Amino acid sequence: MKIWIRTSTVAVLVALILGACAPATTPTASPAGSTTAPTVQPTQAPATQTSAEKKVITLWHVQTGDGPKVIQNEVDRYMADHPDVEVKVEAQQTDNYTVKLNVALGADNPPCVFSTWGGGPLYQYVKAGKIQDLTEWMNQDNYKDRFLDAGIASITFDGKIWAVPVEHSAIAVIFYNKKIFADNGLSIPSTYDELLQIITKLKSVGIAPFALGGKSVWPELFFTTYFVDRLGGPEAFRAAATRTGGSFTDPPFIQAGQMIQDLVKMGAFVEGFNGLDYGTGQSRMLMYSGKAAMEMMGTWNISTIKGENPDFYATNLGFFPFPAIVGEKGDPNDVAGSIGQDLYSVAAACKYPKEAFELIQYMIDDKAVAERAAIGRIVPVKSFTTDDPMLKEVLRLLKQAPNVQLWWDQYLPPDLGQASLDTTQALFSLTQTPGVAFGNMETTAIRVFGK
Amino acid sequence: MGVEMVERARVGKAPKRGTAYQREYSLCAVVFLLPMIFFLVVFVVWPILSSAQMSLFAWNGVSPTRQYVGFQNWSRLIGDRIFWSAFRNNLTVLVLSIVIQIPMGMALAVLVSNGGRWMVVFKTVCFLPMLMSSVAIGILFKYVYDPYFGVLTASLKAVGLSPLVRNWLGDPQIALYSVIAVVCWQFIPFYMILFEAGIAGIPVELHEAAIIDGATENQYFWHITLPLLWGTTRAAVSLALFGSLTYFDLVWVMTTGGPSGATELMATYMVKKAFLSTEVGYGSTVAFAMFLIVVLISGIAFFVTRRKESSPWSS
Repeated sequence: MKIWIRTSTVAVLVALILGACAPATTPTASPAGSTTAPTVQPTQAPATQTSAEKKVITLWHVQTGDGPKVIQNEVDRYMADHPDVEVKVEAQQTDNYTVKLNVALGADNPPCVFSTWGGGPLYQYVKAGKIQDLTEWMNQDNYKDRFLDAGIASITFDGKIWAVPVEHSAIAVIFYNKKIFADNGLSIPSTYDELLQIITKLKSVGIAPFALGGKSVWPELFFTTYFVDRLGGPEAFRAAATRTGGSFTDPPFIQAGQMIQDLVKMGAFVEGFNGLDYGTGQSRMLMYSGKAAMEMMGTWNISTIKGENPDFYATNLGFFPFPAIVGEKGDPNDVAGSIGQDLYSVAAACKYPKEAFELIQYMIDDKAVAERAAIGRIVPVKSFTTDDPMLKEVLRLLKQAPNVQLWWDQYLPPDLGQASLDTTQALFSLTQTPGVAFGNMETTAIRVFGK
Repeated sequence: MGVEMVERARVGKAPKRGTAYQREYSLCAVVFLLPMIFFLVVFVVWPILSSAQMSLFAWNGVSPTRQYVGFQNWSRLIGDRIFWSAFRNNLTVLVLSIVIQIPMGMALAVLVSNGGRWMVVFKTVCFLPMLMSSVAIGILFKYVYDPYFGVLTASLKAVGLSPLVRNWLGDPQIALYSVIAVVCWQFIPFYMILFEAGIAGIPVELHEAAIIDGATENQYFWHITLPLLWGTTRAAVSLALFGSLTYFDLVWVMTTGGPSGATELMATYMVKKAFLSTEVGYGSTVAFAMFLIVVLISGIAFFVTRRKESSPWSS
């Protein structure tokens, strides 16, 4: 009896171990000698696949709301047309996505297709040779002409194209609760002074003027971006960011910091904003419940709110662009935004780059464009039109903007982008003066660029 | 000689030095230890040495090349205000963890050891926090701590204690303590189990003898149980020490080291530098500095609290 128990236990254990060691269908194209994840797997079969074995492509995205459904539709269509390819879609959380992607690319164990926000971080990957050059395929049949020029420009480095603009174009606007404004006799401000009056009025009736996801920090960065842009024009930031004669301690920056701290001190932001996480919807909840009247956020919020709270979207949601600051250099029509953000790139280590690129093409073909429009996205293709009044307004603001300033933490190289977030958080928390906060950013810039 | 060998084995002594049997015995021990040594070297020793080496370079984590910078990272670390502020936060976590978690763990262990059948249920319920993933706990408590809709705020308001409501995770003054509260919630069960095991090792006859001699439960606990748990306590303190100095999970999920560094720990700072700012060289410097600090403090703690391990039955 004892022997029976012993042998059967051993047999079960052996079976389990063998099962765990079976080759998982991961598409890692690890060149010999590179460090891969420490799983116990037999080495990958050589490149020539038998017709029975499928090519596996992994796709990473950071979409929420209805976005993942749309992506899955496109993936399913692609797989239906290409039965020899299996696509694994993995949704990632935005706030930790960069970390995960850095590690994956650095260890040469990346997904075949993944999204980035372009700008400095993408360029860093390009310089490290981790991204597949897509120029040839983009030029084929003039495919790149399908997209808005500004979108292509944002991912062209060293004369080559490294990504495809896919998910949406977005700008940062101030969303507001139409009912609260109507109840209190407020109208959309066209100047900053008018906005200040609105803030004062809202405070007097006990409604928090702005909801803000301070814990996530990047929502605060919208304010910094707009203030600097309105005060010093786009040149102020560009000169400092490209180290062509500007510094982050120039007057527009310091003044912007001052104005932010004035706003915080006058109670323009909901109490406790420092601990609210945009990602888990804490700031949106305040808008829905009427505790806060406004929130500055990217226009992807339209799509998010549409999916999350259709009633609010239908009856109460409105937005307006960041108002003009009268008497300053900036053009009030400039916007902070990103054309085609969540651009998809192909990893250099991908085993099937051509198939990966075709997959991306499926994600932005006409059917996909229509599906994205239906869920409230502005797609970065030239042919995009929409009947939705909200999206029409966003499109108008986007098209008429003389300059679209890319989000600072995506424009700048990663360590400087992080510094801009740290500076912004210090400003909003009132833990540092603008001089000190921007001084730290300037110090980091000098260290990063060497000048 | 054979009889002597058996005699020594019976009382638990190692074979006599220098004998052939001893060599065989030692060889046997080494062979059995080899797999463990392998894993230890590959997953512990080598990464530590590797991070020490990486601290002499500047690397962004993706580039195929890296740049030698000598001790530049180290001099930067010494002057880094944020790192030392993080270290002070770690010390706060350390002190509060030891002062709160260990006594409460012990109290629960005493309660659970003395109880009856219901204690089994109680024990299981108490242990649940340890089984949950840190990320799940972090997100859960982020909602609990929401200053508008969270359970904590709502409860305080419901009993009329509204003035006590704070910006739990957003106020730089109290954010760290809010997080520490959740850490305690997560780890007290662990200490409960640890001490329960320790208490179970105390012979029951001691208790009976003490009661017969007229000792109260209170006296029994302070004068007999506690001293006999010295080894376990020491182990618990070391674990708390090590855990606090390298803590990461809940802080990262709940506050990411914010607001503005109020809850920054050495580990979160390291991750920010190595992966978000893509300065892997400097991040490795922080990591290796953490290692040195942990070794130093643990070493001091261990040395200060050393005492010859003695059991009531040793001869």
